Amino acid sequence: MGRATNSSSSSIDSSSHPTVSSASSFPRLKRDLSTDLSLGLSISTSDHHYCPSTPREQQSDWPPIKTLLRKALAGEGNKCNDATFFVKVYMEGIPIGRKLDLFAHDGYHALIRTLDHMFSTTILWAEVDGVLHSEKCHVLTYEDKEGDWMMVGDVPWELFLTTVKRLKITRVDKY
Amino acid sequence: MGYSFPEEVLEHVLSFIDSDSDRNSVSLVCKSWHDIERWCRRRLFVGNCYAVSPAIAIRRFPELRSVSLKGKPHFADFNLVPHEWGGYAYPWIAAFAKAYPWLEELRLKRMVVSDEALELIAKKFKNFRVLVMYSCEGFSTDGLATIAANCRNLKELDLSESEVDDVSGNWLSQFPDSYTSLESLNITSLSSEIRFTALERLVGRCPNLKTLKLSHSVPLDLLPNLLQKAPQLVELGSGLHTKEVHPDLYSKLAGAFSGCKGLKRLCGLRDVVPSYLPTLYPICFGLTSLNLSDAPIQCPELIKLVSQCQNLQRLWVLDYIEDTGLIALAESCKDLRELRVFPSDPFGQEPNVSLTEQGLVSVSAGCPKLHSVLYFCRRMSNVALSTIARNRPNLTRFRLCIIERFRPDYITQEPLDVGFGAIVEHCKDLKRLSLSGLLTDRVFEYIGSHGKKLEMLSLAFAGDSDLGLHHVLSGCKSLRKLEIRDCPFGDKALLANAAKLETMRSLWMSACQVSYRACKLLGQKMPRLNVEVIAEQGHPDSSPDEYPVEKLYIYRTVSGPRSDMPSFVWTMDKNSALRSS
Repeated sequence: MGRATNSSSSSIDSSSHPTVSSASSFPRLKRDLSTDLSLGLSISTSDHHYCPSTPREQQSDWPPIKTLLRKALAGEGNKCNDATFFVKVYMEGIPIGRKLDLFAHDGYHALIRTLDHMFSTTILWAEVDGVLHSEKCHVLTYEDKEGDWMMVGDVPWELFLTTVKRLKITRVDKY
Repeated sequence: MGYSFPEEVLEHVLSFIDSDSDRNSVSLVCKSWHDIERWCRRRLFVGNCYAVSPAIAIRRFPELRSVSLKGKPHFADFNLVPHEWGGYAYPWIAAFAKAYPWLEELRLKRMVVSDEALELIAKKFKNFRVLVMYSCEGFSTDGLATIAANCRNLKELDLSESEVDDVSGNWLSQFPDSYTSLESLNITSLSSEIRFTALERLVGRCPNLKTLKLSHSVPLDLLPNLLQKAPQLVELGSGLHTKEVHPDLYSKLAGAFSGCKGLKRLCGLRDVVPSYLPTLYPICFGLTSLNLSDAPIQCPELIKLVSQCQNLQRLWVLDYIEDTGLIALAESCKDLRELRVFPSDPFGQEPNVSLTEQGLVSVSAGCPKLHSVLYFCRRMSNVALSTIARNRPNLTRFRLCIIERFRPDYITQEPLDVGFGAIVEHCKDLKRLSLSGLLTDRVFEYIGSHGKKLEMLSLAFAGDSDLGLHHVLSGCKSLRKLEIRDCPFGDKALLANAAKLETMRSLWMSACQVSYRACKLLGQKMPRLNVEVIAEQGHPDSSPDEYPVEKLYIYRTVSGPRSDMPSFVWTMDKNSALRSS
């Protein structure tokens, strides 16, 4: 076992006692603790009354975390990433709009990529330089909670999420 | 004495003395001071409900207004104390009902509280104000309904971590419409649906409500309304979960949080959706306490959140924060005083996150006020512990739990004796310590020589022999609570240090090597200790005396053996016969 257990014969003094032997004799996690403790004792292991902790107890009492936390962790499934935040997106000239989940994007760049794809065009927004040289470009705007139409990209992404109500893609020449 | 000193003057002076230890000192000066002090003491703290009886407490202090009681030993939190062990609040409350009709406050920890006990509180104490039941059990929402219906002056109702038989959520409606004095409500442990309209009305009519901690069943769309009714909140606990968001809700929530300008403490956030976290950003700067130990938020979002909480003093978080998150914490939160990192996957064999000893080392280096640590991790080294000790000699509480038992220093494969030795050597004000990892008797030698202010020590799977226990019992002058499980400590150290046990509140030993004989001997020799043997496998008399007992709980008491023991607990007293082997 590798650990000195000599309670039946040692006296309590400060003389040195055997130090722990090499690491290779140390037990791994899966060992049965009750066997080790009974091996360390000077009594026979056939005694049925001595049972330091049953395997069932080993499961529920180590490591020492409280029951409520244990239950909370057990209940934690894949719920945390399921939320959605869909907003409507209209492209000018197309009466039927689309819906887009803002929570599925981690920032403006991802959003623009998705919109470029969805509407097969190049989207201009606040971060793009104002070189408007092609009629095929569109500008992305959003309606905020005050009802105003603003260009997308001026405020931090998180702040944008708290005020956006819907998106509109307008043609450059009309803009 | 040639003159008489008016009692009223002394009483007036004493009214400024709050601390229990100061009052205890006052009562030792002379008989008349003892008498005056006991009549004007208003608060009582009983750290072990079996150390004294209600009758003795009432006889000594006839005019109490506030009592705190603790029941089960701390290891009950980890399922080591069998169910129905004890800690019943009813006898105390029944005695108080007769003796203290003006009792205002009861704070109970790890006790069994029945609905009958709650009914007594509701009906017998006319000016009852504060009920805190921390980690208690035995009552239902019916008992809460009686409290709500009858306690007109209730300021605080706190059920933290208690197990409640949740019959129905209607109890909240029992607060009458005329009731407006609520200041603090903590019902996080309830799971049934509560009547939201009743909650809203309650919150709306209580202008002094400062603390509101709700269960996770409160739906997200209710929260903005609730917050708008209580912008004066200082402490909030709530889940933030939902499946679908519509734009209005998100902005409403952000607006509601911004409106709570005094919010300092936040907890709950169970099932929180990470995308919602930005609604909290406006209040982060004002937060002093953040408890994310229920929240499955991953490292990047945690870093974004925590970096904005520059005034944070206390952080409880899951190990999703990882080393990188803790480095960010150390950089942003220079006022941090307390850190607790809990394991997200405590039973997994392999690490699921990149959290190591490095995270703790970074925080110890970057946060000069850090004094309280609880840290779960999977590896540690002596050099890291020494670094932490040197960085933070102001540590007062240090609890380290290396998840795998008997884990040595991962670099040198040595035991962690030297590392923990550095902790006790450098942190001279250390009051609480929990050890883990591979440890020999040497660590106890260090603890015995340096841990002079240590009051509470928790040991598991540590040590080689009785010498270890002897070092602790003979060296730690200030020790009050010692709890030990699965250590090879036996009779010799215990018997050699029997007198020490009368200077401590309690000693718990389970799965150790203390024989039944030693327990009986101790019970015989030390009449002011209750030596309780817990044996669920059968009466210890049915095995030879030299066999070890399963569990042992020893505590000092002035009221003799308790009378409410279950069938599996025996007190060793002077009549315990010693049998020859």
